[in-house]
Amino acid sequence: MKKIAILAASSLIALSACASGPSKEEVTPVIESAKAENAAAKKMGFMWRDAGKMIKKAEAALKEGDTAQAMKLAKKAEFQGKMAQIQAKEQANAGPAF
Amino acid sequence: MKKFIIAMTALGLLGGAVAHAKTNPAQDLKEFRAYFFKKFPGVPLQEYANGIYGVNESRRVEWEATMEFPPFEPGVDAGQDLYNKYSKHFRKCFGNSAGKGIRQNYPYFDSKSGDIVTLEGAINDCLKKNGEKPLGWKKGKLAALVAYMASTSNGKAININVPNDKRALAWYERGKHHFYSKRGQLNLSCANCHVDSAGGQIRANILSPALGHVSHFPVYRKKWEARGSGVTGGFGTLHRRYGGCNKQVRAKPFKAQSDEYKALEYFHTYMSNGIKVNAPGVRQ
Repeated sequence: MKKIAILAASSLIALSACASGPSKEEVTPVIESAKAENAAAKKMGFMWRDAGKMIKKAEAALKEGDTAQAMKLAKKAEFQGKMAQIQAKEQANAGPAF
Repeated sequence: MKKFIIAMTALGLLGGAVAHAKTNPAQDLKEFRAYFFKKFPGVPLQEYANGIYGVNESRRVEWEATMEFPPFEPGVDAGQDLYNKYSKHFRKCFGNSAGKGIRQNYPYFDSKSGDIVTLEGAINDCLKKNGEKPLGWKKGKLAALVAYMASTSNGKAININVPNDKRALAWYERGKHHFYSKRGQLNLSCANCHVDSAGGQIRANILSPALGHVSHFPVYRKKWEARGSGVTGGFGTLHRRYGGCNKQVRAKPFKAQSDEYKALEYFHTYMSNGIKVNAPGVRQ
């Protein structure tokens, strides 16, 4: 019985740690990085359509205290910014295939 | 240090000259047309003014039925009313033509400013110079006005000139690069849909050939009609469509009349040289 109680208590602690998500201090630099990556993609003329919206939604989620959602969106936007820059570089010599 | 700067400048100029030496719009046009003639054997050049209706028989039947009572006519009449309202300004800006029968020559490279002048841009410049409020770029009044003005060019062959001026060639190359560059999350270029897959299906839609695209703009789209209001609600300019295409591949669109879209229009229109203006078109 004692063992079960210890296990349940430790599970609860673990679950609550997951639910609280990353801290605000952890999310903010990821949002800033997402902004920088997408600004660079925009400058190259290759920004993707939804990255800007994702960043706005991440900021709103952070404001509301949903740091897990904010982190998820910020990472997605950051990834899109990086991919768009790779795309721009790959397309530097784009031309007809015929 | 001075020698180094001179050497780098010379190298830069040489590089620029080499890049422009590679630019051969006439050869590009020849190859572009040849590709479509091979892809759609037997379709004459002028048929490309009709978009997918020139290459897809079942859609052509539907389009011919639509054209018995063209849905754009009240909108073109509204465009004519606007033209009449501004015609005194247009006489000053466009000379004797007063803006009629000039669509086939736009966009053009202005050697004085080094800029590309689109018809929409020239109209709004003219309105501003004459104390009028410029019209919104993508739809509504300006699209209807241009639809009317373009209709006065119907039957005249598109005639875009790319002079041997490094600035004009740079505009052309920029537009060509945009056209062939894959972009957006879907990683698709204009050419992937409208060259490689022209005539094919994307969901329930047929992809139109890029050859002849510009001949029937502004277009009256059923999709825009459903979203818009009034008789001009279905009209949209070429730059509205560019923005829509970019969004569809999940790329962030550029602004209408941005340098990027002006360059694209310059290249895109040059590729349709020789095709007669057939505006406005009805599209889905």
